[in-house]
Amino acid sequence: MDAMTENSIRQEQIESFGRLMAGFSHDMKNHLGIIRESNGLMGDIIEMGGLGDDEITVERLKKSIASIERRVVIAANMFHHLSGLAHRPDTPYSFFQINDLITEEYVFLERFSRLKQIDLVLELGDGLPALYNDPALLQHVFYRLYVLCLEQLSSGLTLVILTSRDEKNAVITFRFPGTLQGSLEQPSLENIQAAVKKLEGILEISDNGKDHTDIRLTMPSLSVD
Amino acid sequence: MKKIKLLIIDDEVEFAATLCQRLKLRGIDASDVHSGGEGLAVLTEESPEIVILDLKMPDMSGLDVLAEIKTYDPSIEVIMLTGHGSAGSGIEAMEKGALDYIMKPIDLKELLEKIELADEKRSKA
Repeated sequence: MDAMTENSIRQEQIESFGRLMAGFSHDMKNHLGIIRESNGLMGDIIEMGGLGDDEITVERLKKSIASIERRVVIAANMFHHLSGLAHRPDTPYSFFQINDLITEEYVFLERFSRLKQIDLVLELGDGLPALYNDPALLQHVFYRLYVLCLEQLSSGLTLVILTSRDEKNAVITFRFPGTLQGSLEQPSLENIQAAVKKLEGILEISDNGKDHTDIRLTMPSLSVD
Repeated sequence: MKKIKLLIIDDEVEFAATLCQRLKLRGIDASDVHSGGEGLAVLTEESPEIVILDLKMPDMSGLDVLAEIKTYDPSIEVIMLTGHGSAGSGIEAMEKGALDYIMKPIDLKELLEKIELADEKRSKA
């Protein structure tokens, strides 16, 4: 692979990470906003001597406490996955489970589907082989393919992401209704194709009788040597 | 003194409902809805004087909702809520007719000052 393509892939990889982080910070501000308002409301209730009725006051306090607890759990889970995601590039080639990689990234993708009102369904298969490959690059390819699929869909539709085993390989399938507008060979996907090549993967598309489209990424385990 | 009629439009239900309750405790006649479409639908029945509007929502962007509110009644003052790290989106909203913007997580004191400012502006008009 020539240096220019290598640089372009690297640049897009940083861009993908940036977009994921922008979404993450939005989500985090929302969680913090709810925590602050719930905490503020509890302060108001104490300061104002309740909401007039003891039962209503207790119920509202309970609701605020539950709200804070729920948001802290969600935020902590996001931070846990952020730590994993951020450290992936530390070891460019390593062993990993594809399901772990997707679960880690999925937390940051939900926001994009929610804003587009797309139902995102994750179906992780069992018994997938552990892969030796470049996990950070694969997460970048995964994000770009996810965005490509979102761009194809209008609100109310469902995007299913499945993982499965194909002999020694692991397979990620993006399944959505209808057909793909354009092709995987379009110029905007040139770097994705190059990244897939670098991963020694196979990216293919199958149009299942116009009922739904599968974008299938087959990932091999590279030689450790 | 008349109560300020205020509508919160934000898809974060818990946030909108809690903020709404806090504003009510401060004597503001607040209500909350959780989508842009819902917000536009209740404009006629709620007749808000001030709208607190989230910039990013699933069904409609806050900027589109802002445009529709201003078309419906230019005297409604809109304060945008933004989760963006930079002020760019808030400034863009002000160029499109919003009175001001506030960043999430909000400082209630700051929001109350902006609400007061919006009310004063309406009284002078």
